[in-house]
Amino acid sequence: MKITKPAIAGTLESSDLMVKVTPNQNGMLEVVVRSEVIKQFGKQIRRVIDDTLSKLEVSEGTVVVEDKGALDYAIQARVQAAVLRGAGSEKLNWEQLS
Amino acid sequence: MRPQDAPHEIEDVWRLLADRQLELDTRVEIFVLCRTKGRLIACGGLDRKVIKCVAVAPEYSGQSLSLRLGSELIALAAARGQFHLFLYSAPYNRELFQGWGFYPLVEVPRLVLLMENSPVAIQTYCDSLRSKRRAGNPIGCAVLNANPFTLGHRFLLERAAAQCEWMHVFVVQEDASTFSYSERFALVAQGIQGIRRLTLHEGSDYIISRATFPGYFLKDKVVVDHSWAGIDLLLFREHIAPALGITHRFVGTEPLDTITSNYNVDMRNWLRDAPSGAPAISVVEVPRASINGRPISASAVRKLLAEGDFDAIQRLVPPGTLKFLQTKYAAALAAGGVERA
Repeated sequence: MKITKPAIAGTLESSDLMVKVTPNQNGMLEVVVRSEVIKQFGKQIRRVIDDTLSKLEVSEGTVVVEDKGALDYAIQARVQAAVLRGAGSEKLNWEQLS
Repeated sequence: MRPQDAPHEIEDVWRLLADRQLELDTRVEIFVLCRTKGRLIACGGLDRKVIKCVAVAPEYSGQSLSLRLGSELIALAAARGQFHLFLYSAPYNRELFQGWGFYPLVEVPRLVLLMENSPVAIQTYCDSLRSKRRAGNPIGCAVLNANPFTLGHRFLLERAAAQCEWMHVFVVQEDASTFSYSERFALVAQGIQGIRRLTLHEGSDYIISRATFPGYFLKDKVVVDHSWAGIDLLLFREHIAPALGITHRFVGTEPLDTITSNYNVDMRNWLRDAPSGAPAISVVEVPRASINGRPISASAVRKLLAEGDFDAIQRLVPPGTLKFLQTKYAAALAAGGVERA
């Protein structure tokens, strides 16, 4: 799956996160994470994001995450929503995503 | 809320901004308002891709209301098709807007900070410029509004190209001029034909037009002009010039227009003298081409166009621009009126 248009999901409020996806000019997958709790949970947050992207088989795009201390499933849901909006109307295997 | 739809609400916005020593920016297209029991406690506006006029009432200035406001503004911008956003703020608000997912781009110390909502966009842009880099020294650059392209622009670029091993030319992208960006760009592309060792670049969000620079938090017009020049020129010096290896910036002398004339003075300051992590860039002022002792300028051409004086215009512009103006003028006449420039 490729990010073909810019899209956002989520909010900046506490315990949530905002995910911004844009097409990547160099055909690469680039992920940038900023979190208020990066020191304590940076690795875990990054792992949830990477897992979600790989289950969606995202191969191209720029993904920017502004995390405000969200729990794992919130991160997963927001990343999925942003990717689906940014990739247009591709069919999804929901079971594979869980 | 659109300003034109709600004059009574705009009065509240005006009052809230005034409490925070801010003015209402007239270019704001739409506002997000936050009320409690009818009272306005926070607002923020959008002018296309720029967030403006953000204020929170002092007793609500804890983080959470601001984050709610930021989320709403970003979602509203997205709904309006704007994902790449900018904002100008006083430097002491840096952390607040970092919480909104904005990253500092460039700062005029103590006066204004320009931020964008991406940690990678400027880098991506500079990488794309780097692929158009040419070896040599000196490497020149000129930034044109070209509203429209005249023989004066042609003369400037010929003189600059003769002094450089390569010239990079940018056209200001923002549509705040008489002629649209695509019209202006096409005229430049035609007008530069035959000049060797020159690359014409598309404009970008990182070349800031004076017309769209917000001054509402700076009060004094002189400070606004100074700040805009600082933002535009430091962006050039710290990001664009290093990507392309630019050593010299060329500009025409400006005998007619005081804003542009001051800008030329600011240019030496920000590109060469001001402290910066980036190398200094030489500023070369090329005397403006004249005809019968009168300097050729785009504003003179617009004035003559309003008068329909094509005999005079013919002497100031290349054939491509003349043909374009004649066609446009004929279309305007047929439509029943000529736009006054």
